[in-house]
Amino acid sequence: MKYEDFDIDDFLKDEFFIHWVKNRDEDTVHFWEKWIQQHPERKHIVFTAADIIKSIHYKEKISISDRLYLETFENILQAENNPVNKPHKKTWWSIFQIRNVAAVFLITVLMWLSWDMIFVPQQTEELNLQPIEWVTKIVPGGKKSIVTLSDGTKIFMNSNSELSYPKTFSDSSRTVAIKGEAFFEVQKEDRPFIVSSKGLKINVLGTSFNVKDSEDGKVAVALMSGKVRINDNSGNQVNLLPNEMLVIKENGPFIKTGFDSLEVLGWKNKYLIFKKENFYSVKKKLENWYGVEIEIKGAVNPRWTYSGVYHDEMLENILKGMSHTSGISYTIKNKKVIISNIE
Amino acid sequence: MAINPKKPTTSASLSIKNSDILRIYGKKSDPEVWEAFDYGDELAFNYLYRIYVPVLFRYGTQLTRDEAVVQDCIQNIFISLRSKRGTLTKVNCIKAYLFKIMNREVLKKLSKYKKLEFKDTNDLEGSFLIEVSSESKMIESECSIEIKEKLETALNQLTSKQRLAILLLYQEGLSYKQIAEVFDFNEVKTARKLVYRALNSMRNILKDKNQ
Repeated sequence: MKYEDFDIDDFLKDEFFIHWVKNRDEDTVHFWEKWIQQHPERKHIVFTAADIIKSIHYKEKISISDRLYLETFENILQAENNPVNKPHKKTWWSIFQIRNVAAVFLITVLMWLSWDMIFVPQQTEELNLQPIEWVTKIVPGGKKSIVTLSDGTKIFMNSNSELSYPKTFSDSSRTVAIKGEAFFEVQKEDRPFIVSSKGLKINVLGTSFNVKDSEDGKVAVALMSGKVRINDNSGNQVNLLPNEMLVIKENGPFIKTGFDSLEVLGWKNKYLIFKKENFYSVKKKLENWYGVEIEIKGAVNPRWTYSGVYHDEMLENILKGMSHTSGISYTIKNKKVIISNIE
Repeated sequence: MAINPKKPTTSASLSIKNSDILRIYGKKSDPEVWEAFDYGDELAFNYLYRIYVPVLFRYGTQLTRDEAVVQDCIQNIFISLRSKRGTLTKVNCIKAYLFKIMNREVLKKLSKYKKLEFKDTNDLEGSFLIEVSSESKMIESECSIEIKEKLETALNQLTSKQRLAILLLYQEGLSYKQIAEVFDFNEVKTARKLVYRALNSMRNILKDKNQ
Protein backbone atom coordinates (compact mmCIF):
# COMPACT_ATOMS: atom_id res chain seq x y z
CA MET A 1 0.00 0.00 0.00
CA LYS A 2 1.27 3.48 -0.86
CA TYR A 3 1.08 6.52 1.38
CA GLU A 4 -1.57 8.07 -0.86
CA ASP A 5 -3.89 5.17 -0.02
CA PHE A 6 -3.26 5.46 3.72
CA ASP A 7 -6.05 6.13 6.14
CA ILE A 8 -5.49 7.75 9.56
CA ASP A 9 -4.89 4.46 11.32
CA ASP A 10 -2.37 3.40 8.68
CA PHE A 11 -0.39 6.53 9.35
CA LEU A 12 -0.67 5.88 13.08
CA LYS A 13 1.13 2.54 12.56
CA ASP A 14 3.81 3.77 10.19
CA GLU A 15 7.27 4.05 11.72
CA PHE A 16 8.62 6.48 9.15
CA PHE A 17 5.63 8.75 9.65
CA ILE A 18 5.85 8.61 13.45
CA HIS A 19 9.54 9.36 13.22
CA TRP A 20 8.79 12.53 11.31
CA VAL A 21 6.18 13.67 13.83
CA LYS A 22 8.44 12.93 16.81
CA ASN A 23 11.88 13.89 15.62
CA ARG A 24 11.62 16.07 12.54
CA ASP A 25 15.10 15.31 11.32
CA GLU A 26 16.37 16.29 7.91
CA ASP A 27 15.48 13.10 6.05
CA THR A 28 11.91 12.85 7.22
CA VAL A 29 11.13 16.55 6.99
CA HIS A 30 12.37 16.66 3.43
CA PHE A 31 10.21 13.72 2.43
CA TRP A 32 6.99 14.64 4.18
CA GLU A 33 7.01 18.32 3.25
CA LYS A 34 7.35 17.33 -0.37
CA TRP A 35 4.73 14.64 -0.02
CA ILE A 36 2.14 16.98 1.47
CA GLN A 37 2.77 19.48 -1.32
CA GLN A 38 2.15 16.73 -3.85
CA HIS A 39 -1.01 15.45 -2.13
CA PRO A 40 -2.90 18.50 -0.82
CA GLU A 41 -6.13 16.48 -0.66
CA ARG A 42 -4.54 14.15 1.97
CA LYS A 43 -3.35 17.03 4.13
CA HIS A 44 -6.12 16.74 6.70
CA ILE A 45 -5.57 13.05 7.23
CA VAL A 46 -1.84 13.58 7.66
CA PHE A 47 -2.28 16.39 10.15
CA THR A 48 -5.00 14.60 12.10
CA ALA A 49 -2.76 11.57 12.48
CA ALA A 50 0.16 13.79 13.49
CA ASP A 51 -2.06 15.56 16.01
CA ILE A 52 -3.09 12.27 17.62
CA ILE A 53 0.51 11.05 17.84
CA LYS A 54 1.58 14.31 19.45
CA SER A 55 -1.35 14.26 21.88
CA ILE A 56 -0.60 10.89 23.44
CA HIS A 57 1.32 11.22 26.70
CA TYR A 58 1.87 9.68 30.06
CA LYS A 59 -1.06 10.76 32.20
CA GLU A 60 1.23 11.86 34.97
CA LYS A 61 4.70 13.01 34.16
CA ILE A 62 6.89 13.03 37.21
CA SER A 63 10.31 14.60 36.84
CA ILE A 64 13.21 13.65 39.02
CA SER A 65 13.97 16.33 41.59
CA ASP A 66 17.46 17.82 41.73
CA ARG A 67 17.90 16.36 45.18
CA LEU A 68 17.12 12.80 44.06
CA TYR A 69 19.21 13.22 40.94
CA LEU A 70 22.32 14.16 42.89
CA GLU A 71 21.69 11.72 45.72
CA THR A 72 21.37 8.81 43.28
CA PHE A 73 24.60 9.79 41.54
CA GLU A 74 26.48 9.85 44.81
CA ASN A 75 25.03 6.54 45.91
CA ILE A 76 26.14 4.88 42.69
CA LEU A 77 29.71 6.09 43.03
CA GLN A 78 29.84 5.32 46.71
CA ALA A 79 28.70 1.75 46.19
CA GLU A 80 32.04 1.16 44.49
CA ASN A 81 34.11 2.37 47.41
CA ASN A 82 32.00 0.35 49.75
CA PRO A 83 32.07 -3.24 48.48
CA VAL A 84 29.46 -4.39 50.99
CA ASN A 85 26.77 -2.73 48.95
CA LYS A 86 28.16 -4.08 45.75
CA PRO A 87 25.95 -6.65 44.05
CA HIS A 88 28.05 -9.83 44.08
CA LYS A 89 31.57 -9.19 42.93
CA LYS A 90 32.73 -11.20 39.98
CA THR A 91 35.46 -13.77 40.11
CA TRP A 92 38.02 -13.55 37.36
CA TRP A 93 36.65 -16.68 35.76
CA SER A 94 33.30 -15.11 35.16
CA ILE A 95 35.00 -12.38 33.18
CA PHE A 96 35.41 -14.73 30.24
CA GLN A 97 32.84 -13.63 27.83
CA ILE A 98 34.43 -15.59 25.09
CA ARG A 99 35.37 -18.82 26.70
CA ASN A 100 38.02 -19.66 24.19
CA VAL A 101 39.97 -16.56 24.89
CA ALA A 102 42.46 -17.45 27.51
CA ALA A 103 43.87 -14.04 28.12
CA VAL A 104 43.47 -10.49 26.94
CA PHE A 105 46.33 -8.19 27.73
CA LEU A 106 48.30 -5.25 26.54
CA ILE A 107 52.04 -4.91 26.44
CA THR A 108 54.01 -1.82 25.68
CA VAL A 109 57.73 -1.83 25.36
CA LEU A 110 59.76 1.16 24.35
CA MET A 111 63.34 0.02 24.84
CA TRP A 112 64.51 -0.99 21.45
CA LEU A 113 68.04 -1.81 22.48
CA SER A 114 67.08 -4.82 24.45
CA TRP A 115 65.34 -6.38 21.49
CA ASP A 116 68.14 -8.83 20.81
CA MET A 117 68.24 -9.97 24.39
CA ILE A 118 64.74 -11.28 24.13
CA PHE A 119 65.53 -13.85 21.53
CA VAL A 120 68.62 -15.31 23.09
CA PRO A 121 66.91 -17.47 25.68
CA GLN A 122 64.31 -18.63 23.20
CA GLN A 123 66.89 -19.83 20.76
CA THR A 124 68.50 -22.03 23.36
CA GLU A 125 65.13 -23.42 24.27
CA GLU A 126 64.30 -24.41 20.74
CA LEU A 127 67.77 -25.80 20.09
CA ASN A 128 66.77 -29.39 19.44
CA LEU A 129 64.00 -28.49 17.11
CA GLN A 130 64.02 -27.70 13.46
CA PRO A 131 64.88 -24.12 12.60
CA ILE A 132 61.85 -22.01 13.12
CA GLU A 133 60.81 -19.56 10.49
CA TRP A 134 60.04 -16.22 12.09
CA VAL A 135 57.74 -13.64 10.64
CA THR A 136 58.06 -9.99 11.58
CA LYS A 137 55.21 -7.55 11.24
CA ILE A 138 56.13 -3.88 11.43
CA VAL A 139 53.46 -1.22 11.90
CA PRO A 140 54.73 2.32 11.12
CA GLY A 141 53.57 5.59 12.69
CA GLY A 142 50.05 6.61 11.77
CA LYS A 143 48.92 3.03 11.21
CA LYS A 144 47.34 0.31 13.32
CA SER A 145 47.03 -3.34 12.52
CA ILE A 146 45.43 -6.58 13.63
CA VAL A 147 47.33 -9.85 13.32
CA THR A 148 45.64 -13.22 13.71
CA LEU A 149 48.03 -16.04 14.50
CA SER A 150 47.68 -19.64 13.37
CA ASP A 151 46.18 -20.64 16.72
CA GLY A 152 43.46 -17.99 16.47
CA THR A 153 45.08 -15.52 18.86
CA LYS A 154 44.35 -11.94 17.87
CA ILE A 155 46.88 -9.17 18.34
CA PHE A 156 45.98 -5.50 17.92
CA MET A 157 49.12 -3.53 17.15
CA ASN A 158 49.46 0.18 17.82
CA SER A 159 51.51 2.61 15.69
CA ASN A 160 55.28 2.18 15.67
CA SER A 161 55.22 -1.41 16.88
CA GLU A 162 56.89 -4.60 15.81
CA LEU A 163 55.71 -8.16 16.34
CA SER A 164 57.72 -11.32 15.68
CA TYR A 165 56.19 -14.76 15.68
CA PRO A 166 56.98 -18.19 14.26
CA LYS A 167 55.17 -19.10 11.07
CA THR A 168 53.94 -22.20 12.85
CA PHE A 169 54.10 -22.71 16.57
CA SER A 170 56.04 -25.60 18.08
CA ASP A 171 54.18 -28.43 19.77
CA SER A 172 55.20 -27.37 23.21
CA SER A 173 54.63 -23.62 23.35
CA ARG A 174 53.51 -20.48 21.57
CA THR A 175 56.06 -17.70 21.83
CA VAL A 176 55.93 -14.24 20.29
CA ALA A 177 57.92 -11.04 20.81
CA ILE A 178 56.66 -7.49 20.83
CA LYS A 179 58.23 -4.05 20.60
CA GLY A 180 56.01 -1.04 21.12
CA GLU A 181 52.39 -1.49 22.13
CA ALA A 182 49.93 -4.30 21.51
CA PHE A 183 46.72 -5.73 22.86
CA PHE A 184 46.47 -9.51 23.00
CA GLU A 185 43.42 -11.74 22.90
CA VAL A 186 44.95 -15.11 23.45
CA GLN A 187 43.15 -18.23 22.26
CA LYS A 188 42.84 -20.72 25.07
CA GLU A 189 44.54 -24.06 24.58
CA ASP A 190 47.02 -26.45 26.22
CA ARG A 191 50.24 -24.94 24.90
CA PRO A 192 51.31 -21.99 27.03
CA PHE A 193 51.35 -18.60 25.34
CA ILE A 194 54.44 -16.53 26.09
CA VAL A 195 55.08 -12.91 25.14
CA SER A 196 58.62 -11.59 25.27
CA SER A 197 58.98 -7.92 25.83
CA LYS A 198 62.21 -6.19 26.69
CA GLY A 199 63.73 -8.96 28.71
CA LEU A 200 60.45 -9.86 30.35
CA LYS A 201 58.46 -12.99 29.80
CA ILE A 202 54.73 -12.80 30.11
CA ASN A 203 53.11 -16.17 30.60
CA VAL A 204 49.48 -16.29 29.74
CA LEU A 205 47.47 -18.38 32.09
CA GLY A 206 44.12 -17.46 30.65
CA THR A 207 43.77 -13.76 30.01
CA SER A 208 43.38 -10.52 28.09
CA PHE A 209 45.92 -7.76 28.57
CA ASN A 210 47.75 -4.74 27.19
CA VAL A 211 51.50 -4.34 27.10
CA LYS A 212 53.41 -1.15 26.52
CA ASP A 213 57.06 -0.23 26.77
CA SER A 214 58.02 3.38 26.93
CA GLU A 215 61.13 5.22 25.88
CA ASP A 216 62.08 5.87 29.44
CA GLY A 217 62.72 2.16 29.70
CA LYS A 218 59.46 1.13 31.26
CA VAL A 219 57.29 -1.80 30.35
CA ALA A 220 53.66 -1.81 31.34
CA VAL A 221 51.40 -4.84 31.27
CA ALA A 222 47.71 -4.21 31.81
CA LEU A 223 45.37 -7.13 32.32
CA MET A 224 41.73 -7.04 31.25
CA SER A 225 40.64 -10.56 32.05
CA GLY A 226 42.19 -13.88 32.94
CA LYS A 227 45.57 -14.25 34.53
CA VAL A 228 49.17 -13.63 33.53
CA ARG A 229 52.50 -14.34 35.18
CA ILE A 230 55.47 -12.11 34.47
CA ASN A 231 59.10 -13.15 34.89
CA ASP A 232 62.11 -10.91 34.51
CA ASN A 233 65.71 -11.84 33.78
CA SER A 234 66.70 -11.86 37.42
CA GLY A 235 64.21 -14.52 38.31
CA ASN A 236 61.56 -12.28 39.82
CA GLN A 237 58.01 -13.36 39.26
CA VAL A 238 54.67 -11.68 39.71
CA ASN A 239 51.07 -12.63 38.96
CA LEU A 240 48.52 -10.16 37.67
CA LEU A 241 44.78 -10.21 38.17
CA PRO A 242 42.19 -8.43 36.01
CA ASN A 243 42.24 -4.63 36.15
CA GLU A 244 45.76 -4.68 37.52
CA MET A 245 48.67 -3.14 35.73
CA LEU A 246 52.31 -3.88 36.27
CA VAL A 247 54.92 -1.23 35.49
CA ILE A 248 58.51 -2.33 35.38
CA LYS A 249 61.56 -0.17 34.97
CA GLU A 250 64.48 -2.08 33.54
CA ASN A 251 66.12 -3.96 36.37
CA GLY A 252 63.96 -1.93 38.68
CA PRO A 253 61.18 -2.85 41.04
CA PHE A 254 57.81 -4.18 39.96
CA ILE A 255 55.03 -1.72 40.64
CA LYS A 256 51.45 -2.92 40.62
CA THR A 257 48.66 -0.39 40.12
CA GLY A 258 45.15 -0.15 38.83
CA PHE A 259 44.48 1.54 35.51
CA ASP A 260 41.87 3.54 33.67
CA SER A 261 40.89 1.15 30.92
CA LEU A 262 39.87 3.82 28.44
CA GLU A 263 43.17 5.60 28.88
CA VAL A 264 45.23 2.45 28.53
CA LEU A 265 43.19 0.42 26.04
CA GLY A 266 41.34 3.18 24.19
CA TRP A 267 43.77 3.22 21.25
CA LYS A 268 42.56 -0.22 20.21
CA ASN A 269 39.08 1.16 19.64
CA LYS A 270 40.39 4.32 18.02
CA TYR A 271 40.12 6.56 21.06
CA LEU A 272 42.82 9.17 21.31
CA ILE A 273 42.87 10.58 24.81
CA PHE A 274 44.63 13.50 26.42
CA LYS A 275 44.37 13.89 30.13
CA LYS A 276 45.79 17.19 31.33
CA GLU A 277 48.88 16.49 29.28
CA ASN A 278 51.77 18.84 28.65
CA PHE A 279 52.67 19.85 25.15
CA TYR A 280 55.46 17.34 24.65
CA SER A 281 53.24 14.45 25.58
CA VAL A 282 50.49 15.68 23.25
CA LYS A 283 53.05 16.16 20.47
CA LYS A 284 54.36 12.63 20.81
CA LYS A 285 50.90 11.09 20.82
CA LEU A 286 49.86 13.01 17.71
CA GLU A 287 53.07 12.11 15.87
CA ASN A 288 52.58 8.47 16.69
CA TRP A 289 48.87 8.36 15.97
CA TYR A 290 48.91 10.21 12.63
CA GLY A 291 52.45 9.42 11.49
CA VAL A 292 53.33 13.10 11.14
CA GLU A 293 56.26 15.22 12.22
CA ILE A 294 55.48 18.17 14.45
CA GLU A 295 57.71 21.21 14.53
CA ILE A 296 57.46 23.68 17.38
CA LYS A 297 57.83 27.38 16.66
CA GLY A 298 58.61 29.68 19.50
CA ALA A 299 58.63 28.95 23.20
CA VAL A 300 56.50 26.34 24.93
CA ASN A 301 54.78 27.35 28.12
CA PRO A 302 55.57 24.53 30.56
CA ARG A 303 52.18 25.06 32.21
CA TRP A 304 50.27 24.43 28.96
CA THR A 305 48.07 21.36 29.30
CA TYR A 306 45.36 19.80 27.19
CA SER A 307 42.51 17.39 27.81
CA GLY A 308 40.24 15.76 25.28
CA VAL A 309 38.72 12.51 24.11
CA TYR A 310 38.65 11.88 20.38
CA HIS A 311 37.12 8.94 18.62
CA ASP A 312 38.34 8.22 15.12
CA GLU A 313 38.95 11.90 14.48
CA MET A 314 40.94 13.67 11.76
CA LEU A 315 44.17 15.41 12.77
CA GLU A 316 42.88 18.69 11.39
CA ASN A 317 39.84 18.58 13.68
CA ILE A 318 41.92 17.91 16.76
CA LEU A 319 44.23 20.81 15.96
CA LYS A 320 41.23 23.03 15.29
CA GLY A 321 39.80 22.11 18.69
CA MET A 322 43.14 22.82 20.33
CA SER A 323 43.42 26.21 18.65
CA HIS A 324 39.93 27.17 19.87
CA THR A 325 40.39 26.12 23.47
CA SER A 326 44.05 26.76 24.07
CA GLY A 327 44.98 29.33 21.48
CA ILE A 328 47.67 27.50 19.55
CA SER A 329 48.24 28.23 15.85
CA TYR A 330 49.06 25.51 13.36
CA THR A 331 49.70 24.74 9.74
CA ILE A 332 49.62 21.30 8.12
CA LYS A 333 51.71 20.58 5.04
CA ASN A 334 51.64 16.96 3.95
CA LYS A 335 53.19 15.00 6.78
CA LYS A 336 54.54 18.05 8.53
CA VAL A 337 52.76 20.13 11.13
CA ILE A 338 54.01 23.41 12.50
CA ILE A 339 52.59 24.55 15.83
CA SER A 340 53.18 27.91 17.46
CA ASN A 341 51.71 30.05 20.24
CA ILE A 342 51.88 27.34 22.88
CA GLU A 343 51.07 29.54 25.82
CA MET B 1 53.01 7.37 24.75
CA ALA B 2 53.87 7.52 28.36
CA ILE B 3 51.71 5.57 30.70
CA ASN B 4 50.47 7.09 33.89
CA PRO B 5 50.15 4.33 36.42
CA LYS B 6 47.30 6.03 38.17
CA LYS B 7 44.42 4.40 39.91
CA PRO B 8 41.21 4.63 37.97
CA THR B 9 39.51 7.69 39.24
CA THR B 10 36.18 9.33 38.76
CA SER B 11 37.73 12.76 38.83
CA ALA B 12 38.68 12.14 35.21
CA SER B 13 35.27 13.40 34.29
CA LEU B 14 35.98 16.74 35.88
CA SER B 15 38.79 17.75 33.58
CA ILE B 16 36.42 18.14 30.64
CA LYS B 17 33.71 20.74 30.56
CA ASN B 18 30.11 19.63 31.00
CA SER B 19 28.99 21.00 27.68
CA ASP B 20 31.82 19.10 26.02
CA ILE B 21 30.53 15.77 27.28
CA LEU B 22 27.14 16.30 25.71
CA ARG B 23 28.72 17.59 22.52
CA ILE B 24 31.23 14.75 22.17
CA TYR B 25 28.99 11.85 23.14
CA GLY B 26 25.82 13.30 21.69
CA LYS B 27 27.29 12.80 18.23
CA LYS B 28 28.06 9.14 18.83
CA SER B 29 25.75 6.27 18.09
CA ASP B 30 24.26 4.27 20.96
CA PRO B 31 26.54 1.25 20.39
CA GLU B 32 29.61 3.52 20.43
CA VAL B 33 28.63 5.23 23.67
CA TRP B 34 27.82 1.89 25.23
CA GLU B 35 31.14 0.41 24.16
CA ALA B 36 33.01 3.37 25.64
CA PHE B 37 31.11 2.88 28.90
CA ASP B 38 31.95 -0.82 28.79
CA TYR B 39 35.61 0.10 28.39
CA GLY B 40 35.49 2.06 31.60
CA ASP B 41 35.16 5.54 30.14
CA GLU B 42 33.91 7.67 33.03
CA LEU B 43 32.80 10.42 30.67
CA ALA B 44 30.57 7.96 28.89
CA PHE B 45 29.06 7.00 32.23
CA ASN B 46 28.56 10.64 33.04
CA TYR B 47 26.80 11.12 29.72
CA LEU B 48 24.58 8.07 30.22
CA TYR B 49 23.61 9.30 33.66
CA ARG B 50 22.66 12.78 32.47
CA ILE B 51 20.64 11.67 29.52
CA TYR B 52 18.97 8.56 30.81
CA VAL B 53 18.34 9.03 34.53
CA PRO B 54 15.61 11.66 34.00
CA VAL B 55 14.11 9.47 31.25
CA LEU B 56 14.26 6.36 33.43
CA PHE B 57 12.73 8.17 36.36
CA ARG B 58 9.80 9.39 34.28
CA TYR B 59 9.39 5.88 32.92
CA GLY B 60 9.76 4.18 36.30
CA THR B 61 7.13 6.37 37.92
CA GLN B 62 4.65 5.01 35.35
CA LEU B 63 5.28 1.53 36.73
CA THR B 64 4.87 2.54 40.34
CA ARG B 65 4.15 5.82 42.05
CA ASP B 66 6.56 5.01 44.81
CA GLU B 67 9.44 7.35 43.97
CA ALA B 68 11.73 5.71 46.50
CA VAL B 69 11.34 2.37 44.74
CA VAL B 70 12.11 3.99 41.40
CA GLN B 71 15.19 5.69 42.79
CA ASP B 72 16.37 2.43 44.31
CA CYS B 73 15.95 0.60 41.04
CA ILE B 74 17.83 3.23 39.02
CA GLN B 75 20.62 3.08 41.55
CA ASN B 76 20.85 -0.71 41.41
CA ILE B 77 20.81 -0.75 37.64
CA PHE B 78 23.76 1.61 37.36
CA ILE B 79 25.73 0.00 40.16
CA SER B 80 25.31 -3.36 38.53
CA LEU B 81 26.18 -2.07 35.04
CA ARG B 82 29.29 -0.36 36.37
CA SER B 83 30.45 -3.48 38.14
CA LYS B 84 30.05 -5.48 34.94
CA ARG B 85 32.08 -3.10 32.80
CA GLY B 86 34.43 -4.99 30.52
CA THR B 87 31.92 -7.75 29.99
CA LEU B 88 28.78 -5.89 28.95
CA THR B 89 26.86 -7.10 25.93
CA LYS B 90 26.38 -4.89 22.88
CA VAL B 91 23.43 -2.54 23.00
CA ASN B 92 21.79 -1.06 19.91
CA CYS B 93 19.32 1.22 21.64
CA ILE B 94 20.30 2.30 25.12
CA LYS B 95 16.85 3.63 26.01
CA ALA B 96 15.07 0.39 25.08
CA TYR B 97 17.66 -1.68 26.89
CA LEU B 98 17.39 0.41 30.06
CA PHE B 99 13.58 0.26 29.96
CA LYS B 100 13.77 -3.51 29.74
CA ILE B 101 15.97 -3.84 32.80
CA MET B 102 13.94 -1.17 34.60
CA ASN B 103 10.79 -3.28 34.11
CA ARG B 104 12.56 -6.29 35.55
CA GLU B 105 14.03 -4.38 38.46
CA VAL B 106 10.78 -2.68 39.47
CA LEU B 107 8.75 -5.90 39.23
CA LYS B 108 11.36 -7.70 41.33
CA LYS B 109 11.46 -4.97 43.93
CA LEU B 110 7.69 -4.64 44.21
CA SER B 111 7.24 -8.41 44.44
CA LYS B 112 9.62 -8.51 47.35
CA TYR B 113 8.18 -5.43 48.96
CA LYS B 114 4.51 -6.36 48.72
CA LYS B 115 5.04 -10.11 49.06
CA LEU B 116 3.07 -10.65 45.87
CA GLU B 117 4.25 -11.92 42.57
CA PHE B 118 4.32 -9.35 39.79
CA LYS B 119 5.23 -11.04 36.54
CA ASP B 120 4.65 -8.32 34.02
CA THR B 121 3.33 -4.81 33.81
CA ASN B 122 -0.26 -6.10 33.46
CA ASP B 123 -0.01 -7.06 37.12
CA LEU B 124 0.60 -3.45 38.07
CA GLU B 125 -2.73 -1.74 38.44
CA GLY B 126 -2.99 1.68 36.94
CA SER B 127 0.42 1.56 35.33
CA PHE B 128 1.02 3.46 32.09
CA LEU B 129 -2.14 5.53 32.05
CA ILE B 130 -2.57 7.61 28.95
CA GLU B 131 -3.62 11.19 28.42
CA VAL B 132 -4.74 12.41 25.02
CA SER B 133 -4.39 16.15 24.81
CA SER B 134 -2.20 18.58 23.01
CA GLU B 135 -0.95 21.88 24.28
CA SER B 136 -1.35 23.60 20.98
CA LYS B 137 -4.12 23.13 18.50
CA MET B 138 -3.08 22.00 15.07
CA ILE B 139 -5.02 24.05 12.59
CA GLU B 140 -5.21 21.42 9.90
CA SER B 141 -6.22 18.66 12.29
CA GLU B 142 -9.76 17.37 12.36
CA CYS B 143 -9.37 15.79 15.74
CA SER B 144 -11.63 17.67 18.16
CA ILE B 145 -11.35 17.78 21.92
CA GLU B 146 -14.37 15.46 22.18
CA ILE B 147 -12.70 12.86 20.02
CA LYS B 148 -9.54 13.10 22.07
CA GLU B 149 -11.55 12.48 25.22
CA LYS B 150 -13.11 9.44 23.63
CA LEU B 151 -9.72 8.19 22.55
CA GLU B 152 -8.37 8.66 26.04
CA THR B 153 -11.18 6.64 27.60
CA ALA B 154 -10.75 3.88 25.04
CA LEU B 155 -7.00 3.71 25.45
CA ASN B 156 -7.20 3.53 29.22
CA GLN B 157 -9.46 0.49 28.95
CA LEU B 158 -6.71 -1.45 27.24
CA THR B 159 -4.35 -3.70 29.15
CA SER B 160 -1.36 -2.05 30.71
CA LYS B 161 0.92 -3.84 28.27
CA GLN B 162 -0.96 -2.47 25.28
CA ARG B 163 -0.87 1.02 26.74
CA LEU B 164 2.85 0.68 27.31
CA ALA B 165 3.34 -0.32 23.68
CA ILE B 166 1.43 2.76 22.52
CA LEU B 167 3.36 5.04 24.84
CA LEU B 168 6.69 3.60 23.76
CA LEU B 169 5.73 4.30 20.17
CA TYR B 170 4.32 7.81 20.56
CA GLN B 171 5.67 9.22 23.80
CA GLU B 172 9.15 7.71 23.79
CA GLY B 173 9.48 7.56 20.02
CA LEU B 174 10.78 3.98 19.89
CA SER B 175 10.65 1.82 16.76
CA TYR B 176 8.89 -1.55 16.65
CA LYS B 177 12.24 -3.24 16.93
CA GLN B 178 13.07 -1.27 20.05
CA ILE B 179 9.62 -1.95 21.51
CA ALA B 180 10.26 -5.67 21.01
CA GLU B 181 13.47 -5.22 22.98
CA VAL B 182 11.66 -3.56 25.89
CA PHE B 183 9.19 -6.44 26.06
CA ASP B 184 11.91 -9.00 25.51
CA PHE B 185 10.11 -10.36 22.43
CA ASN B 186 12.21 -12.44 20.08
CA GLU B 187 10.41 -11.12 17.04
CA VAL B 188 9.57 -7.61 15.95
CA LYS B 189 6.34 -9.05 14.56
CA THR B 190 5.07 -9.64 18.08
CA ALA B 191 5.57 -5.98 18.95
CA ARG B 192 3.75 -4.90 15.80
CA LYS B 193 0.80 -7.15 16.62
CA LEU B 194 0.61 -5.75 20.13
CA VAL B 195 0.50 -2.18 18.83
CA TYR B 196 -1.93 -2.94 15.99
CA ARG B 197 -4.37 -4.61 18.33
CA ALA B 198 -4.21 -1.67 20.70
CA LEU B 199 -4.79 0.75 17.85
CA ASN B 200 -7.96 -1.08 16.79
CA SER B 201 -9.82 0.54 19.64
CA MET B 202 -8.89 3.93 18.24
CA ARG B 203 -9.86 3.03 14.71
CA ASN B 204 -13.53 2.64 15.49
CA ILE B 205 -13.70 6.00 17.18
CA LEU B 206 -11.94 7.67 14.26
CA LYS B 207 -14.22 5.90 11.76
CA ASP B 208 -17.31 7.14 13.57
CA LYS B 209 -16.03 10.63 13.26
CA ASN B 210 -15.79 10.35 9.50
CA GLN B 211 -19.32 9.15 9.06
